[in-house]
Amino acid sequence: MNSAVLKKTMYWFVVPALTMYLVFWIYPILRLFQYSFSDYNGFIQNFNYIGFDNFSQIFKDGVAGTSLSNTLIYTLVFVVFSNLIALGLAFLLNMKIRATGLYRTAAYVPTLFSAIVVGFIWSYVYMPDSGLIATVLSWFGVDGASLNLLGNYSSALYAITAVDVWKHIGTSTVIFLAGLQTVPVDLEEAGRIDGASSWQVTRFIRLPLLATSMTINVTLSLINGLKAFDYSFIMTNGGPGRATSTLLFEIFRMAFREMQYGKASALAVVSFIVIIAITIFFVLRLNRREVSA
Amino acid sequence: MNGGIAKKTLTHIGISFVLLLNILPLLIALSSSFRSVSNMTNPLQLFSEFSLESYRVAFDKMHFMQALGNSLMLTVISVVVVVLFTSMAAYPIARINNRLSKALYLFFLCGLVVPSQMVIIPIVQTIQGLHIPSSQFTPILMFITCSIPFSSFLYTGFIKSSIPIEVEESALIDGAGLMRRFWQIVFPLLLPVTVSVVITQGVWIWNDYFFNMIFISRAAESPLPLAMLGFMGDQTNPTAWNVLFAACFLCALPLLIMFAFLQKYFIGGLTVGSVKG
Repeated sequence: MNSAVLKKTMYWFVVPALTMYLVFWIYPILRLFQYSFSDYNGFIQNFNYIGFDNFSQIFKDGVAGTSLSNTLIYTLVFVVFSNLIALGLAFLLNMKIRATGLYRTAAYVPTLFSAIVVGFIWSYVYMPDSGLIATVLSWFGVDGASLNLLGNYSSALYAITAVDVWKHIGTSTVIFLAGLQTVPVDLEEAGRIDGASSWQVTRFIRLPLLATSMTINVTLSLINGLKAFDYSFIMTNGGPGRATSTLLFEIFRMAFREMQYGKASALAVVSFIVIIAITIFFVLRLNRREVSA
Repeated sequence: MNGGIAKKTLTHIGISFVLLLNILPLLIALSSSFRSVSNMTNPLQLFSEFSLESYRVAFDKMHFMQALGNSLMLTVISVVVVVLFTSMAAYPIARINNRLSKALYLFFLCGLVVPSQMVIIPIVQTIQGLHIPSSQFTPILMFITCSIPFSSFLYTGFIKSSIPIEVEESALIDGAGLMRRFWQIVFPLLLPVTVSVVITQGVWIWNDYFFNMIFISRAAESPLPLAMLGFMGDQTNPTAWNVLFAACFLCALPLLIMFAFLQKYFIGGLTVGSVKG
């Protein structure tokens, strides 16, 4: 379709956005690769190229391995739980009952808070002794003082992931709800007339038609999980030890606290490759599974 | 019939329970924030005192009015520029169907997966290299840049699916140039996505502390989330909780008020892109 409306001069409209994107996003990403082969420390501009030293160092001292596995666990837990809980909530809120608007609001409100506020409030929830969980447990005679979820090696990572899940559920629920509302009522009724149980209607009619919202939610949560930084920074400072140190937190710590820009850039390059590979893999697979109504 | 009512009641109880659990941390924080600074009752005794003393202390400590003004300035400027730049960029990409458009579309979309913390070192270097001073306005550059991928994705999808080219053709016959066609015909029709972009990008920019933390060093220039960083450490100190929670709610209040009035748009804005796919 060749319309007179379409002219090549239209491409001038891309220039402002493209310029900013190239200067402040793409160019810095390329520089990252350059720094990763150098001993740059952020101050002395004539730095040396040291080959793959940064890479071998971050792998040898275990920083890359630890932060990579922390990030992957975080992402897996985050994607699975935020989507399952949101899906359940969306089914509940999609029922023909009153006050769903109020319920939806209650589900959505946590997403409005800044990560920093959320981090502070949840630090209280997790505090040993006088925190929310510890106090409730003490009512049931369990000694909450020894339960230090954020201070414990084995639980800290899951504790901060739970906070992110909590903040993210509202968004996913709203997207699932919108998807559910596009499921044609007559399709559900046709299913019931054919004798399908409500579980079968859900499984064979609603879930397949939710594929688009599922793709969006899984993709968004995947990207969000791989970007994990906030709660390691606000709540645990990467600790105890390196238990909650995600890739991005580790990059930040190396660059701005230890002034090792070269090493931090090498870790950033590793993260870049991992993040791109995982995202492309999942997006391609998910897109293939979609069905339309 | 009786069974139906019982079932519905049970459902209501179930949903209420789940959602109450969901907002419990917020409720407890809210109730503590209404206590006087020295009231050390356990936070779980909900709403036992209504005092605004903690709010007064937090209000002063975070220089609320100043921070609010800074937050407004940062968010409004960034969002306006994002809307203008990305709607413009999406227009040819959606309209012209060739390899260049497709490449640009994917090129912008790729930026979505790159986290800002990862590239922050060379970003700081680039900004210094361009001799842009580190000021209150520097984060705006990054807010705009980081909003480009998602916003142009939303606009492109919407123009492709919902703005038929015919609406422009009659204007072309009337002699309207490219600029007039875009700003007077296409742009107004983009309103649903514009709302969506303003809300999704506005909320993250308003809440972001990372770029502000990197670029803004003077307290007088801090927006709200950065002012909150001044309370770092208080979260593990029970005696500071009342004031800390008051500060948390002061920080969230502007968005909560917006949400109360524009709820429909917040919820709808989130799904404009998602339902169309």
